Amino acid sequence: MSFLQMFSLLASGAGYTVLVTVACIATAVVSGLLVALLGRLRIKPLNRVLAVYTYIFRGIPVLVLLFIVFFGLPGIGLSVPPLVSMMLSLGLIAGAYLAEVFRGALDAVDESEIMAAEAMGMSRSQILFAIEVPQMLRFSVPGMLNEFTTVLKYSPFAYTVGIPDIMKQALALASTTLRGLEIYLAIGLLYFAIYQLMLALMKAVERRFSVPGFKRL
Amino acid sequence: MLLQVRQLTKSFDDKTILRGVDLDLAEGQLKVIMGPSGCGKSTLLRCLNRLIEPSSGQVIFRGKDVLQPGTDVRALRQQIGFVFQQFALYRHLSALHNVTLALRKLRGMSVREAHAKAMHELGRMNMAEHADQYPAQLSGGQKQRVAIARALAMDPAVLFFDEPTSALDPLMSREVVSVIKQLQLDNVTMLCVTHDPFLAKSIADRVMFLDEGVVRAEGTVAEIFGAHADPRIRDFFAHEHSAA
Ligand SMILES: Nc1ncnc2c1ncn2[C@@H]1O[C@H](COP(=O)(O)OP(=O)(O)OP(=O)(O)O)[C@@H](O)[C@H]1O
Ligand SMILES: [Mg+2]
Repeated sequence: MSFLQMFSLLASGAGYTVLVTVACIATAVVSGLLVALLGRLRIKPLNRVLAVYTYIFRGIPVLVLLFIVFFGLPGIGLSVPPLVSMMLSLGLIAGAYLAEVFRGALDAVDESEIMAAEAMGMSRSQILFAIEVPQMLRFSVPGMLNEFTTVLKYSPFAYTVGIPDIMKQALALASTTLRGLEIYLAIGLLYFAIYQLMLALMKAVERRFSVPGFKRL
Repeated sequence: MLLQVRQLTKSFDDKTILRGVDLDLAEGQLKVIMGPSGCGKSTLLRCLNRLIEPSSGQVIFRGKDVLQPGTDVRALRQQIGFVFQQFALYRHLSALHNVTLALRKLRGMSVREAHAKAMHELGRMNMAEHADQYPAQLSGGQKQRVAIARALAMDPAVLFFDEPTSALDPLMSREVVSVIKQLQLDNVTMLCVTHDPFLAKSIADRVMFLDEGVVRAEGTVAEIFGAHADPRIRDFFAHEHSAA
């Protein structure tokens, strides 16, 4: 197999790795935001449900949940496509962690600013979306970056459900060429490059929305 | 009379803070509320725009008792500008956007209109050249002036101040006193809680002394600060003066 062929296989794998990572991050952000914001409504039974979600999903290994969804659910007649299985396992687990990040960040919003907005006559939802959420997202940047990195690093589990990501391509290449060391080193570098890209992207976003003197958590 | 408060009471659980407060505020008047720490001054202000729900009494604002059920509380608050001790500027927004936010959300102004109105109010507070700065980049006095501009932008019927100079050093506090005096010349109605005798003496039309949840005395600056008959009031000012 030529170098070019190997390169193009790994490149297509990288495409899937990015796809899985982005899909799981999106799931995590949406579910994390939903849990944190719904928790803000202070409805007792709802909060209990949310607490159970974050409690369970933070305690269960990604691979176990992935297998439950992908290999287990078909047993009761529910077959879940591979990418969706990743989103329901890795995505929701990351979401449970992000929910905690967002919740903490919401608590960090200054009460007096909220009271000032109430005193102006703004509604709860206006205050939430004009003051609390924008500040919360800025407070959450370090926590989000942490979680996004974790998602990228767990993404190789995708190969176990048949997604042709970097890991899957590398396994195939290693078994046909018998040059495991070089190949696994190469994909290590590839993951690192994707990580750096993600970092640069987050930094750019953070800079775009940076506010002088706004303290991170 | 713009505002008439009758027998207002407020209890938190078993603690009674306000025990029947009466207060009148005429249009264009600037009344100062003083009193020992913890006597319920902040609670009183917050009851008037229902940031805190009073326990009983009447708050008649522009002829209507706003404690009656069915009162549009948000509409009420939009007519009362509130300025806090700790400024409470939205830290993620520039001075300009601190002022435009409510204009956009509550007055439904276009970006251009809100911008023009905000720049006008910031200009009144001598803060126009700081419009693009964020709260963290402003001094305490500058922050408080932005907060006043933010309140004024809504064209409120009255401005409430809760110790507007307590978090400021004397120099910055003078800046704020001078803008409040300016507002007084513009006939803005104001109700101001303060511990600061300098502020009270510079601005007050009348001073109200709140103690143990009731209005213990009310009068002109001279009457209240002079040799008052009530020893508690004399003691309070003797102490405040030595502290100031
Ligand atoms: N939400 C609350 N629950 C219970 N007690 C409260 C609450 N808010 C205020 N209090 C109590 O009410 C009393 C009056 O408080 P308030 O803040 O109105 O006093 P103040 O006159 O503004 O004092 P200061 O001069 O220190 O600002 C205090 O004893 C305070 O502990
Ligand atoms: Mg107070």
